[in-house]
Amino acid sequence: MTPLRRWWKGLIEFLFPPETDKWLAVLRIGLGLQVAVYALFLRSDWHHLFASTGKGLVSRQLGEAITSFDSPLIPKLGWLVALGGSVNIGEETVLSIAWAVLLCMGCFLLLGLFCRPVAIIAWFLHLCAAESGGLLAYGADNFMTTGLFYLMLSPLPDRYAFDHWLIKTKPKDPQLLGFWRRVLQVHLCFVYFFGGLAKCLGSGWWNGSNLWRSLTRPPFNIIEPDILIRFKYVLPVLGISLCLIELTYVFFIWRKKTRLVWLVCILGMHIAIGLTMGMYLFALVMIVLNLAAFGAGSGVVFLRHSARHRRDFTQCSPEQQLAP
Amino acid sequence: MAAKRIYAAWFIVHFFLITAVCFAGIFSLVAEGATTLPSALDQYARKAELVGAWLLGKQAAASSPVRRGIATYLHAAGIQAGYTFFAPNIPSYHRLTLELHYDDGRVEYDSPRVRGKAAALRLDSLLDRLADPLYEPLREVVVKMLAFSVWREHRDVRKIRAIFGSVNQPDISDFEHGKRESFQPLFSFDFSLRDEENESTT
Repeated sequence: MTPLRRWWKGLIEFLFPPETDKWLAVLRIGLGLQVAVYALFLRSDWHHLFASTGKGLVSRQLGEAITSFDSPLIPKLGWLVALGGSVNIGEETVLSIAWAVLLCMGCFLLLGLFCRPVAIIAWFLHLCAAESGGLLAYGADNFMTTGLFYLMLSPLPDRYAFDHWLIKTKPKDPQLLGFWRRVLQVHLCFVYFFGGLAKCLGSGWWNGSNLWRSLTRPPFNIIEPDILIRFKYVLPVLGISLCLIELTYVFFIWRKKTRLVWLVCILGMHIAIGLTMGMYLFALVMIVLNLAAFGAGSGVVFLRHSARHRRDFTQCSPEQQLAP
Repeated sequence: MAAKRIYAAWFIVHFFLITAVCFAGIFSLVAEGATTLPSALDQYARKAELVGAWLLGKQAAASSPVRRGIATYLHAAGIQAGYTFFAPNIPSYHRLTLELHYDDGRVEYDSPRVRGKAAALRLDSLLDRLADPLYEPLREVVVKMLAFSVWREHRDVRKIRAIFGSVNQPDISDFEHGKRESFQPLFSFDFSLRDEENESTT
C-alpha cells in the first residue's frame, strides 16, 4: 500500500467513526435555545438595527452594500423586504415577520419539530440578519452561522426529536453521524488553536493587563475595578492559563485522560466570559458547540451514554471512538 | 464508498479554506506590528497574508465567479473571519459624542443609543470598527446615520457636531494611583440639519 493510499485510508477511518445521535440532539436543542435567546435579546432593537436608511440606527442598506461587495449572492434581509414589497407588504411588517419566524424556528428546533426545514430556515434567517447588520455583527454571529450550517447538513432528526416520535424515522447511518461530529470537533480545534496562538502573540495576556482591560472596558465592565484590584495577582495567572488552555485544546481534548479536564476548563472559561462580561450569546453558543462536539461520552455525568444506546449503534464506546 | 469520498473531499476543501482564513488573520496581525514578534518579520507576514488572500480568491476581480463563489461559501458557513478575538491585545475602546446645538444657543450632549444590552454590544463593535483605517471611507456616512438617529429624538436641533475618539484605559497600577480613562478625539464632523433633510458639512 502506497503512503498516499495509507494516508487516505487513515483519513477515512478518522472521519467516519460510528457514533450515536446524542451529540446531534445536544446541538439541535442547544442551537434552538440559542436562536430563541438571540431573537428575544434583540426584540426591542430589531427594527432599530435593521431598518432602512433614515429609520434605524444605521442603514440596513449600508451593511448589505458592504456584504454585496464580497458577493451579491450572500443572503440578506433586503431580499425578504423586496419580496414583501412585491406583494405590498411593508418593510416594517417583513422585519416583524422575520423576527417572529426566527423565534418560532428556535422553539421548533428545541422541540425537534420539522427538524431539517426548520434548521435550514433558522440558518437562512440568521444569516440574513447577520449579513444585513454586518457592521454591527460580532463573533457570536459567526459561531451561530457555523453551528446552524453544520446542523442543517447533519442527519436530522435525532431520536430525541418530536419528528422521530411522530414520523417514526429510521435510525441514521452511525458513520454519517460520526462524520458530522468530527467536522464540529475539528472546527473547534481550529477555533481554539488560532485563538490561543493569537493571544500568545500579545504581551498583555502574559502579564494580566489584557484581562484587566477587557473586564474594565464598556460594555463588558460588569465587575467593579476595585474588586478586580483585589485579585490583581491572579490576573496574570488567569491570562496565561487562558492562552495555554486554548492553544493546547487541540492536543488534550482528543486524549481520553485529559478530555474531561480540558472540556471543563473551556466550559468554565465561557461561563466566566458570559457572567463577567455580559457576553451571554457568545458564551451560550460556545458552550453548546463544545458540549455537542466533546460532551456526549466524555465522562460528563449528565451526557453519559447509557448502555442501551451503546448497544443500539455500535460496539465500541464513544470514548474509544473519539481517541485518534 | 463514493459518498465517503465526496464527504472527505468536502472536508478537505472546507478546512483548507478555514486554515487560509485563520492564517491570513494571524499574518495580518504580525504584519501590522501588533504582536511581540520582531518587526523584521512584518514584511514576510505581509507577503504571507497576500498568499492567504490569493488562496481565498480575494486578488481576483470583484466580479470573478471564483471570488464570489468562495466569499458566498465562507459567509454561508460563518467562516469568513478568523478567530483572533481579544487578541493579540485589547485595544482602546471608542466613543461617539454628539454635541446638539439648538437655535436658542443651548448645547446638549448625547450619544447613539439602543435599548437592549445585546444591541449595545453590537453598537460598541461598530464604533470600534470605525476607528479601523479600513473603514475610513465609510466613517462620515456611518457617523451621519448615527447622528441622524439621535436627531430624530431632538427635532429642534439645528446642528450636530459628532466627535469620535478613543478612550485610553489606565493600567492597573495607574488606576490604583487615581488615574482614570482619558478621551482622545480622533475626528469630528459637523452636520447641519435643515427641514427634515440632513446635510453634512465636514
